[in-house]
Amino acid sequence: MNTTDKNRKPICSIGAGAGFAGDRIDPAVSLAASGLVDTVALECLAERTLVPAIKARLENPQAGFDPRLRRRLTPLLPVALANRCRIVSNLGAANPRAAGKAIIKLAAELGCRSPRVAAVHGDDVLHLSGQIAWVRPVEGKLLGAHAYLGAGVLANALDNGADVVVTGRVADSALFAAPAFGHLDPGPDALAGALTVGHLLECGGQLSGGNYDPIGQGLLPAADYARLGYPLAHVYADGTAEIALLDGAPGLLNADTCTLQLFYEVHDPSRYATPDLILDFTGIRFEQIGHNRVRMSGARSLGPPPTLKVAGFLELPGFIADCEIGFSGTAAMARAQRAAETLRLRLSDWRDEDIAIDLVGIDSILRAGSLPSRAPPAELRVHVSARCVDLEMAQIIEDEIYALTLSGPAGGCSVRSERRPRIEVLDGFIAHDLVRPEIEWSQS
Amino acid sequence: MRVGDIATGRAGDKGNMLDLTLVARDEAAYAVLSRVLTADAARTALNRVIPGPVQRYEIPGLRALKYVAPEALAGGVYATLRPGLHWQKSAIWLLLDMDIDAG
Repeated sequence: MNTTDKNRKPICSIGAGAGFAGDRIDPAVSLAASGLVDTVALECLAERTLVPAIKARLENPQAGFDPRLRRRLTPLLPVALANRCRIVSNLGAANPRAAGKAIIKLAAELGCRSPRVAAVHGDDVLHLSGQIAWVRPVEGKLLGAHAYLGAGVLANALDNGADVVVTGRVADSALFAAPAFGHLDPGPDALAGALTVGHLLECGGQLSGGNYDPIGQGLLPAADYARLGYPLAHVYADGTAEIALLDGAPGLLNADTCTLQLFYEVHDPSRYATPDLILDFTGIRFEQIGHNRVRMSGARSLGPPPTLKVAGFLELPGFIADCEIGFSGTAAMARAQRAAETLRLRLSDWRDEDIAIDLVGIDSILRAGSLPSRAPPAELRVHVSARCVDLEMAQIIEDEIYALTLSGPAGGCSVRSERRPRIEVLDGFIAHDLVRPEIEWSQS
Repeated sequence: MRVGDIATGRAGDKGNMLDLTLVARDEAAYAVLSRVLTADAARTALNRVIPGPVQRYEIPGLRALKYVAPEALAGGVYATLRPGLHWQKSAIWLLLDMDIDAG
């Protein structure tokens, strides 16, 4: 396998099994079955996904983990256990301990050998909300507050024999760096490298050809997107790594895909804060060393951050109503534009900042930055979104759209609408010593 | 010429922040983009669509330029009045579709 590191052995090999809660199931199974990785890590907890989990736990103390747990682990758990591949995931969401029990129960149902499961908890800091330095005042209802845990506690669980580590809010980089954490060379730059690998792997297919527009090369075939391989990393003790796809897996893994992912959702590339270290990405190098195979080096540490980041979840009163009505056939665009004008007249008493009326297919996404339409579209949708303080206001908006089918330009059709709760994420910071992660072990 | 003829890119977001990464095709393309696509030029293009200042970070070793708009997404991605969620993943085309003079 190794083309450049024949004389060195990696300290661990990690597969990127999932990059978000709803991600595909099959990539983790392929990685675990390959025999090439000792751990698959699955990032399954967006900030948004924590909100329904918190609400579910309030209603039922045994709920609050990712409802996809059974669907995701039923194919993965037997394969991972048979291949001595450990599973690390934050799909414990708002209730890692209940998730741990659910995994034990699932293993028994599947007839697997009984796994040793470590549920890592302690990220929930709502009870410490008075000691959190929020970046702005709390408005609305504070539903939850979760600190981002680092890699240390996850590594502790793995090094004490966990087959499965299930947790809640941890830094995504930590989730993927945990297998390497306790086995690196001394000195912070080696850990910086492992955390950088974690940051690269945390979005799964986005490192290996997903959400990637190669310059002048066109798109991948649909059959490749449909079976896109997710990346794996062989991490060395010095914090360098080789990142690769499984042999034969469709996808593209090169210096460009790695660079795009390195800087994804990063503010200052010379100071990327994780719970374990502040990372300087500006000296990173990516070297193509084979087909879909890249060597990463050059990560630097700027030392540990002074505090841990906290995500607070605010629920504001009311909804966002998001509605559409379609037009098709000759002069669809003229009829859609006239319908939008009609709605602007009907809804003229709404404040501009609380309502948007635009045309899906023309300018609903990039607004004034949209390219000019070069040909009359065969069909279009008029879209309206509005911030509504209560259910009645949401209903008024929905009714106004529907009324166009009878009283607006001809052929208004295919009406749809949804209501979204108004959730905001509020960042805060908390002292390291106030956050005390713990491990709860279970085995049947 | 479009920026997208000589660079690839990706948009991300965190809280109110929109972040756009461009990776130039080669050293010459990086030199053109770093000269032409200043923070001010990017801000002019982006402010038609999103509010606030734009900071630029240069990472010559990876031929990358990062443009960060910290106030772009007021209230975070879930507060948007655009249809559906995550419109900002398209925001990189605001830069990729810019016309530039390579001369």
